[in-house]
Amino acid sequence: MIQLTDISKKFGTHLAVADMNMTLTPGKVMGLIGQNGAGKTTTFRMILNFIQPSSGRILWDNHPITQLDKQRIGFLPEERGLYQKRTVEEQVLYFAELHGMSRADAKSSLIQWMKRLDVVGKPTDKVQTLSKGNAQKVQMIASLIFEPDFIILDEPFSGLDPVNTSLMMSEIIRMRDNGAMIIFSSHDMSNVTKISDDLTMLKNGKTVLQGPVQNIREQFGRTRVYVESPTTATELAAIEGVATVTKQGTGFDLILSDEAAGRRVFDLVTRNGYIPAFSQQPPTLDDIFRQEVAIHD
Amino acid sequence: MIKQLNIVIKDTLRANFKSRGYWILVLSPLIFVAVIGGVAFGVTQLQGNTTPTVAVIGQTSERATFVQSAKNLDMKISKITNEKQADKALKSENLDGVLTLKSDSATLTTQPKSEQVPKDDIATILNQLSQAKKATQYGLTAAQTADFMKPVNFKTVVKQANQSESGANTEGANYAIAVAIGVITMFVVMWYTSMIANAIANEKSSRIMEILLAATSARIQYFGKLIGVFLLALTHMLIYLIAGFATVIFLKDNVFVKMITSNLNGVTTGFMLYALAFILIAVALYLVLTAMIASLINDNAQVQQAVQPISFLAMIGYMFSYFMTFMPNNIAIRALSYVPFVSQSMMPVRLVTHVEGWPTALISLGISFISLILLAWFGQGIYAKNVLSYSDEPIMKQITGKLLKK
Repeated sequence: MIQLTDISKKFGTHLAVADMNMTLTPGKVMGLIGQNGAGKTTTFRMILNFIQPSSGRILWDNHPITQLDKQRIGFLPEERGLYQKRTVEEQVLYFAELHGMSRADAKSSLIQWMKRLDVVGKPTDKVQTLSKGNAQKVQMIASLIFEPDFIILDEPFSGLDPVNTSLMMSEIIRMRDNGAMIIFSSHDMSNVTKISDDLTMLKNGKTVLQGPVQNIREQFGRTRVYVESPTTATELAAIEGVATVTKQGTGFDLILSDEAAGRRVFDLVTRNGYIPAFSQQPPTLDDIFRQEVAIHD
Repeated sequence: MIKQLNIVIKDTLRANFKSRGYWILVLSPLIFVAVIGGVAFGVTQLQGNTTPTVAVIGQTSERATFVQSAKNLDMKISKITNEKQADKALKSENLDGVLTLKSDSATLTTQPKSEQVPKDDIATILNQLSQAKKATQYGLTAAQTADFMKPVNFKTVVKQANQSESGANTEGANYAIAVAIGVITMFVVMWYTSMIANAIANEKSSRIMEILLAATSARIQYFGKLIGVFLLALTHMLIYLIAGFATVIFLKDNVFVKMITSNLNGVTTGFMLYALAFILIAVALYLVLTAMIASLINDNAQVQQAVQPISFLAMIGYMFSYFMTFMPNNIAIRALSYVPFVSQSMMPVRLVTHVEGWPTALISLGISFISLILLAWFGQGIYAKNVLSYSDEPIMKQITGKLLKK
């Protein structure tokens, strides 16, 4: 278990991270979200001991992270970097060895990883000959081939197409199921929702939201309704507790000021019987993110 | 974390041994020397026989002296003894020269296409003949004449407080080695400082460093890279040493090889070991300094900016070794002989020219070694602090800024 207790980091007078508390447990994924400069990468750098926290403690199973522990950490940095003139095999084996894996094991494992991630190319190909997407997959393999116990992924999906994003997500889920502790940052809230068990939202270094994803969404109430019916926008807007009505394709998106207004909307739109769609949901993470950013500005 | 250190060292060696760049660096000077040697050999072969043939016209006894000395002079004496025949042969380019001896003078006549005739050696023999002739005229006995002709026994000895050494061959050979230290160090420093700076800049600018430091520590990366590049430089020098020995063994009859081996015969083992130790310590010192400065680099374009002052420093030491020959007792030169980074170009020369003795020379070597240990230790902190921080300022500004801050 990784525990961050009252972690703060100051650069001169600028407070990059303020009193952060976080617990990561085996088999769980923590999503770290926030705008640029919110303190996500600084948090990762403190965990990796690249920089020292100004105050607070970071513990792994109740002891500070040692050099030996670091060998069990898989890290994918935000800005990807590989030795362009080396072959895929040469560099993956080097990184694997540094993490305590034997070259022979890494060599056979590399072939499996390349198959699973659908990398177009051979282990003997030079990285500079690979496409950007394939190079990113190789980067992911280099960071994770030794099956780390603790995984830190800084914007793992940036620059990936939906197919490759989905492949990466399956790998993250596979390693979570194998018992790894995972923390990752992302700007894409739908990805965070899909694979995170817990969420930490940062705003200017401060933690503004934290907890299981579903709990966070539920605490904002089921105030989002999507409906497809012959009812007009004017009729919907006239219902008590409906704040806004927006045309969305063949239906309408409604934002409720009161969760109970959902029943009134349902009664109205179904007064003549069957309708093709009615869904009352908590706000999406994207909505919550925008709302929180606006509140704390 | 010795295991991780070994992995970094091995990776540095493996990556370079597999790269074309390293082998071009190692082999191109050898190929250059081989090509120059081959061309020189070819030209010599094409030139054919370069030994000049000279007709000596004069008294039989004088002519006999030249016939006896012909081999030593690297000159053939023609059988022609008649002046007219000799002139005819010279005109038709069958002779390279005609030496006409008169009672009180001698004339050497050559033609435009003549091979080089050893004029100075001929003049020496003529002087000896003239002295012998005059000795006979003054009525000296044979023993007196021999004593009169005997050359002066001249040798140089430098007297020191505790020791004295003599022997022109040893002195000359050691001096050549001392000067070679400056040249070798300068080249090795230029090649390998650039290599380590490029390696660090590449890992830092491409953010590979972040992945490496997630698994290891900055200290392991720093020492691993330093030791790896140092071993590459050592391998490089070893290859040249082997190539040198192979040349001496396989081309032992070659004139140039003979000349070099005859010079090297005079090198003392003690001095050779001293020279080797100084080169290795100096190269290591420069690598440490480069690694520290290279940790400030943001991208590969800044490598030259970082390496240039280091190359200048290496050149300064080399240039001072020349000044020192003319003014060995200059106070600045004496002081610089103890200063790491330049002492390797100066103290060995001072040792072989007997300006300094062994105790002083060893003190200078010791200072360099201690400086290496201290700088390497201090450098790891600088490296760890900078290798993951990125500044837009020029390298020199960053260095001066950090020094002023301290």
